[in-house]
Amino acid sequence: MHSFKDDTSGLSTSIFSLIAICVALAFLFPIYWSFSQSLRNPLDTFTVAGFGIPWVNFEPTLENWADQLASPESRRALVNSTVVAVGAALLALVLGTPAAYALARFQFTWPKNKDITVWFLSQRVLPPVATLIPFYLVMRSLGLLDTQLALILINATFVLPFVVVILRQTFLDLPIELEEAAMVDGGSHATAFFSVALPLAAPSIAATGLIIFAFSWNEFLFAITLSSRDAITVPVHMAGAVDTRGVQFWFMGVRAMIAMIPPVLVALIAQRYIVRGLTLGAVKG
Amino acid sequence: MRWSGRVRYVFLLPAVIWVLAFTVFPLGYSLTLAFFKIESKMEVQREKVPVLDEDGNQVFTSTGRPRTRTIVHREQTTISTFVGSENFERLARDKQVWTAVRVTITFVLVAVPLQLLLGFALALLFNRHIFGRPVLRATMILPIFVTPIAAGYSFFTIFYEEGGPLGFLGIPFLSHPDWALISVILVDVWQWTPFCFLVFLAALQWVPDELYEAAVVDGATGWQVIREVLLPVLQPTIIIVLLLRLAEALKFFDIPFAMTGGGPGVATQSYSFLAFRTGMRFFDLGYASAMSYGLLVVVMVVVILCFKRLRESYA
Repeated sequence: MHSFKDDTSGLSTSIFSLIAICVALAFLFPIYWSFSQSLRNPLDTFTVAGFGIPWVNFEPTLENWADQLASPESRRALVNSTVVAVGAALLALVLGTPAAYALARFQFTWPKNKDITVWFLSQRVLPPVATLIPFYLVMRSLGLLDTQLALILINATFVLPFVVVILRQTFLDLPIELEEAAMVDGGSHATAFFSVALPLAAPSIAATGLIIFAFSWNEFLFAITLSSRDAITVPVHMAGAVDTRGVQFWFMGVRAMIAMIPPVLVALIAQRYIVRGLTLGAVKG
Repeated sequence: MRWSGRVRYVFLLPAVIWVLAFTVFPLGYSLTLAFFKIESKMEVQREKVPVLDEDGNQVFTSTGRPRTRTIVHREQTTISTFVGSENFERLARDKQVWTAVRVTITFVLVAVPLQLLLGFALALLFNRHIFGRPVLRATMILPIFVTPIAAGYSFFTIFYEEGGPLGFLGIPFLSHPDWALISVILVDVWQWTPFCFLVFLAALQWVPDELYEAAVVDGATGWQVIREVLLPVLQPTIIIVLLLRLAEALKFFDIPFAMTGGGPGVATQSYSFLAFRTGMRFFDLGYASAMSYGLLVVVMVVVILCFKRLRESYA
């Protein structure tokens, strides 16, 4: 290993490419396995040989998918998850984007910008279980248990610090001169924000929105605590696949796929922003 | 140069107030609860009321008796008694708590270093000239975003001992306490190694080529390049990744919930899991609050230890 980057000799490139491909396939396997399972006839669940490749190892069927997508409970879970994740993402963006802008552009003296940023950041790493019980009691006394609204509020709270910290970095990276020019022309700070900074930050805001959509979609602890019937989300519905009639692997396959497809697709769309996003802006992607 | 002016508060305050209302207030509330014993009682009363028709007249059965229906009144009463520090004292004595602490610490100490090491090794591999890197990199992103509950169930089917794809190994993945913990760790490693990998790969690509070249000219071996060139340059990144993973791993919950239900026995019952059960399954709310405060304190200590470094990263 004499160099890391410029070693382009055919043989070692091939060997390392091969290793990399095997690694990527290994990481893909669990997702693939759920997919394979979702296509199996219940009778085939445990008898399929090899890697469970459709048509090679068994005759695939779409019946499980049709069954699950036709069930009102599944549909309700899908609708709930979508409403909750979209609602929480929008709410967090509306609250968080101006705050991020304030931290990037204005001078705060007490406390300082840095400290406010780290305060937001520290909210993100708090263990959610610490707010679980008070949240449950508050929602119970407000009569909001088992509603989409309760889940929107809590998820927006979880992703808000994320929005502030990430978008602060985005605004810092924009040239301040354009906004200053807008204000010299007689515009207010609001004009500078809405007609100059926001359009320039739009791609990053959209990517942030996608990532926090995925976070809220995947959230489970609060979803299972605050919802029981009407507001259950996809992960909670998934948890129900086990205790009802024993373990039904073929349904679990479908439900796992339904649960993971939206956040995974979203991640692929927002790929370019993921490193920055997941390290809360600390590492440039 | 940064701006001043009162308008800055219009931008900032909504988010601050929101966090105060939805995070700081609940945390304060939770701390109060931790000093109380909270008992919930459900009182059920049945009342028979006569059935009326549309005109408001009583309806009679064929035998001439007035028809009635039963209305069930459920009233939940919560009694809170101040018990001082009793919940915290109970916490220190509770064997279940210490088992959960042990499970959590084992999990964190094994899973997090594994993720960082594997992630770093994979980043070095992908930092070379390899075929199809964009596609492979995109594939590696997927696990991070897979719904943890779905990942848990997916691995439940993979680790299924009779007829699962790994069944031929004859390993009691889910039925033996030690193996169950290893299995839970494996799932977490599967999900989060890609995160470490992606961040390290991004950071590696910011390392200027001159650094490698200088090292190579000096006759450094591969291992020396890693230790003397890459590690110092990547140190801030490594610390950020470590902090984020520690904070996340300390609160792990979804994967054991889905895969093992905390079992067999309590072999994979994490601290968050125990607090959730105590609060939401046994409704011992005061004690559960005290319990979750314990975790909160530990996470805060980790954050404060890294605070200076964090503050620099967000300068």
